[in-house]
Amino acid sequence: MLKEKQKNYFLNNLKKGLFNGLSVTLLMVKVIIPCYIIIELIKHFGIIRVIGNFFRPFMKYFGLPGEAAIGIIAGYTINLYAAIAVLSPLKLSTKDITIVALILGISHSLSVETPVTQKTGVNSWMLFCLRILLSLLAGVGLNLIWTLF
Amino acid sequence: MDIILTALKNSAMLTGQLLLIILPLTISYEFLKHKQKTLEEKTWRVFGITQNGLVPLITGVIIGLTYGAGVIIHSIRSSNMDKREAFLIMLFLSICHAIIEDTLIFVVIGANGIILVAIRFFLAFIFTYFAYRWLFFKKS
Repeated sequence: MLKEKQKNYFLNNLKKGLFNGLSVTLLMVKVIIPCYIIIELIKHFGIIRVIGNFFRPFMKYFGLPGEAAIGIIAGYTINLYAAIAVLSPLKLSTKDITIVALILGISHSLSVETPVTQKTGVNSWMLFCLRILLSLLAGVGLNLIWTLF
Repeated sequence: MDIILTALKNSAMLTGQLLLIILPLTISYEFLKHKQKTLEEKTWRVFGITQNGLVPLITGVIIGLTYGAGVIIHSIRSSNMDKREAFLIMLFLSICHAIIEDTLIFVVIGANGIILVAIRFFLAFIFTYFAYRWLFFKKS
């Protein structure tokens, strides 16, 4: 009887976890494929160079190429999977990707996560601004540290 | 047309790689959720966070704000902790959350995971500590 219960518990968790994982993947696919295609297309038609040149003056503080700005914006507004779909075709170096990952790790999917912080009763505007500010500072900082060593 | 095909192929490969990370994670989350009550009860008052705050804190750090939202919101509201503690927890979590998933998906495209985790924990501890000190003085 007890063994049966344990087996059920195990199977239930497994099923729920699998189901959650697959639904996350479905969401992910819906974001990744369009983003990937758009980036490959604008790369092909040379539009990415225009965008890259536009953002280069801002991105140089992070030691990143201008194109990485698209990834950061996608991560801030949509989610990390969109950011990865954008960054993956750009073929950045380990240093660049680590810097982008730190920036996006601190602040991402702001459209989803800000309401979550709000529901806990905490001042979410303050946290929202703090996250963006901190992520940018962390990016600049990591770039400085990385170039020093 | 060729571009779209390669894009489709590459994005499918990327999705496959991410799937390998996400499935084990979501499955282990389910087991973790049930284990939650048996977590060690340690006092951790340096940052003004008490045992009540440990459940949302650990959930957030491991699972993240999106999937852990239910647990975090419920445990902060039901334990009627003060606003200050809730703020400190959310501040820590803002900087350092979903530490496993966020790190791994960037490692897939070539980031250095150890640096990422180390810096995020470091920043989270520093900021929470200073916010605690600052808010503490302001209150008293």
